[in-house]
Amino acid sequence: MSCQRLKNWIEDRYDLDGLRGFAKHKLIPVHRYEVLYYTGGLAMFLFIIQFITGMVLSFYYIPYFEQAHKSIIEIVTKLNMGWFFRSLHHWGAQLSIGVLFIHVFSTLLLKSYRKPRELLWITGFILLGISIFFGLSGYFLLWDERAFAAVRVATGGAGNLPVIGGFIKSFLRGGIDVTGETLTRFYAFHVSVLPILTLILIGIHLALVQYHGMSVPVSEEKNVKKYVPFFPNVLYKDFIIWLVALGVVVTLSVLMPPEIGKKADPLAAPPENIKPEWYFLFLFQTLKLFPGDLMGLNGEMIAIILISLGILFFFLIPFFDRKSARGERSPVFTWIGIIYTAYFIVMTIIGFLT
Amino acid sequence: MLRSKTIYKNILQCLCCSYKSIKTLIFSLIMLSLGAIPLLAQEKNIEVFPSAPYDRFIIYQALVLFWIGIIGLIVIIRMKLREIERIQDMGIDKEEKDIPFLD
Repeated sequence: MSCQRLKNWIEDRYDLDGLRGFAKHKLIPVHRYEVLYYTGGLAMFLFIIQFITGMVLSFYYIPYFEQAHKSIIEIVTKLNMGWFFRSLHHWGAQLSIGVLFIHVFSTLLLKSYRKPRELLWITGFILLGISIFFGLSGYFLLWDERAFAAVRVATGGAGNLPVIGGFIKSFLRGGIDVTGETLTRFYAFHVSVLPILTLILIGIHLALVQYHGMSVPVSEEKNVKKYVPFFPNVLYKDFIIWLVALGVVVTLSVLMPPEIGKKADPLAAPPENIKPEWYFLFLFQTLKLFPGDLMGLNGEMIAIILISLGILFFFLIPFFDRKSARGERSPVFTWIGIIYTAYFIVMTIIGFLT
Repeated sequence: MLRSKTIYKNILQCLCCSYKSIKTLIFSLIMLSLGAIPLLAQEKNIEVFPSAPYDRFIIYQALVLFWIGIIGLIVIIRMKLREIERIQDMGIDKEEKDIPFLD
């Protein structure tokens, strides 16, 4: 079937002109901060890379604690281009979480969460949480001593939450301690539960973006220079950014392939100077600030409660910021956004350097 | 007679010295090998990147070609985008509603 015949076949059945018209009529405002609009599309592109490379790796990975580590070594050393796909998956994960953080913090600072986009903020925030859990569960699938210790600390930390902590800990671990059961659970989360949730949430998030259109910051409402059509202007710029991102991921994968650590031994002591992945460093540093015993109470538990309250406030910020909802400037929430962003960056850097 | 005695003495001294140095050498060799025994038991670092020089060369070459392809595509998209923006600025991209069909 020739191209024209195929096109006619599709056009007979589906309203492609209507779709084209919709894309052309979708207008994007041009202003000082428009570059931040591209972070959402970039995160989605990196997610697609993760899905593809993850599917390839899942053909060869064995999710059983006695063979998991060995199967990764075989993927890297014996499979043709196995090292490359594993490296792409690793760097794709790092970059997608990084871009998601930039997307969330830019949304916070530009107050794009304000009425009527509260649900957009909520779905985006849950997507960030899911991505972080994607990172943790994927890290554990390596079944090396560092990943093992990291999951023990992370699930132990969640266990410090009052009332529901014990349930979360045992649900994640699949028992009292981190064992082969935990690996099976994390594999199930990583390859089935989280991808389905991600696809549903991305679908809702995109539908809401289409419904509400792009948000313009209050300070820029009067400075919008013009509106450009999404297709082809913005989509072409998106393509350029995606190509650069693809180049960066591939270059990092070739020049800095991730190492494989020693196989995890549940009975061995955790390795010295252990650090979590970079996106957990701010939590790690915050926990370090609290003493073991605070006014007769468990310091770690107080730290976890305070962090949870901070994250809950961050999550519900569109409902607290009433001024922005009315379309007025709200400098208090701008400062709150700056403090949150600065705290995350500073704590991550300190955690990285110490 | 005196000369042969001196030579004999010198040889003996030399032998003594070399015996001492050989003893030190053997001792240090033993100590070194003892120190190196745990290294034999240590796990080797797993190679996460092809180690053969030819494979490495091919990979780096492919990376360079990949970037040339990316830059080429970016240039093409950029040119196309400029052309679209030029047409949009001229205002001739919009179709007229009541335009007559030529057929």
